[in-house]
Amino acid sequence: MIGKKRNRGEDERLDEFGRGLIRASTSNEAEAEEVAAAPFLYTRLRSRIRQEQVRREEGESWLAMLGVFWRTIPAMALVAIFALTLFLSTNSGTLSSGSVNVDDALLGTSDVGVESVVFADNRALSNNEVLATILNEDEQEASR
Amino acid sequence: MDEMTDNSDTALERSQPSSAEASAVELSDLALVNQAREGDEAAFEELFNRHKRRVSLIASRFFRQREQIEEVVQESFTKAYFALSDFSNTQENSFAAWLARISFNACYDELRRMKRRPESTLSNVSEEESEWLKEHLLTATNPGSDIESAAVARDLATKLLARLSPEDRLVLVMLDAEGMAVSEIATVTGWSVPKVKVRAHRARAALRKALKRFL
Repeated sequence: MIGKKRNRGEDERLDEFGRGLIRASTSNEAEAEEVAAAPFLYTRLRSRIRQEQVRREEGESWLAMLGVFWRTIPAMALVAIFALTLFLSTNSGTLSSGSVNVDDALLGTSDVGVESVVFADNRALSNNEVLATILNEDEQEASR
Repeated sequence: MDEMTDNSDTALERSQPSSAEASAVELSDLALVNQAREGDEAAFEELFNRHKRRVSLIASRFFRQREQIEEVVQESFTKAYFALSDFSNTQENSFAAWLARISFNACYDELRRMKRRPESTLSNVSEEESEWLKEHLLTATNPGSDIESAAVARDLATKLLARLSPEDRLVLVMLDAEGMAVSEIATVTGWSVPKVKVRAHRARAALRKALKRFL
């Protein structure tokens, strides 16, 4: 009990001494006055504010770019998914039409509408001409 | 911990300009803030001239070197400049009190920055200082009671305080040097009142431990 009281008294004494030390270390008014009265202090502050302004604007432009990029990602993903879907559906359409009759391909009977019109100029032989040629060949073989 | 709660004389209120000063100036701080918000540089310069002394004093509580004090002054006013739009004038929150809060936080940031730099930590207590400290501790004389003693005490205190964490140092300076109440410290730091009390208790214990080594 006595030991505890003695410790408490010693702690209080040390606390009081510590307070005195802190007060002594913080009594630095002369230095503070000198800083406050320093010439060009405001000029230095203005230049610092300007630097900070530039830094913030750069940061903001980066943020804006990041924002644009962030908004673009979902749009790009949607476009990519759409393109992939389109590609896959086209591929499967080509595969299913792979078993088209050879004669149809040769005669171009499967070509309808626009395709027929588009390819019409490119074909040197018409359907009738091809048919006539085949029939001619058959007749020649028969006559032999 | 009674001393912490009984301190009703608010340090932030003391930081406001006196009524004589206020009457001498044409525009109030609030009017100048409004002008500065609209981009009036002269208004901001006037605010700077009015409050630079107080900000320098706050910085000088924590730092002894002139460069460090100036750094805190510049940092505080730069932060204030960019936060002018956030300032709202109320009875409890004058521009001076708002700026003081910014300054204390700038000091705290600088203390933390210093702690991270190992080269900035101060040298150990010298043999002479150790002797002086022991003598004063045993005789229980107030450090800094005379000019010579004040100079030694200042050096020694700076070295001892450098051993404490930035949080401990901030709380002790606010309590003992600025005479702020716990609730005021809580407002300035953004900590809860119990946290400030616990921090103050730990800070005292840490300082006591540092002093006991010299006994």
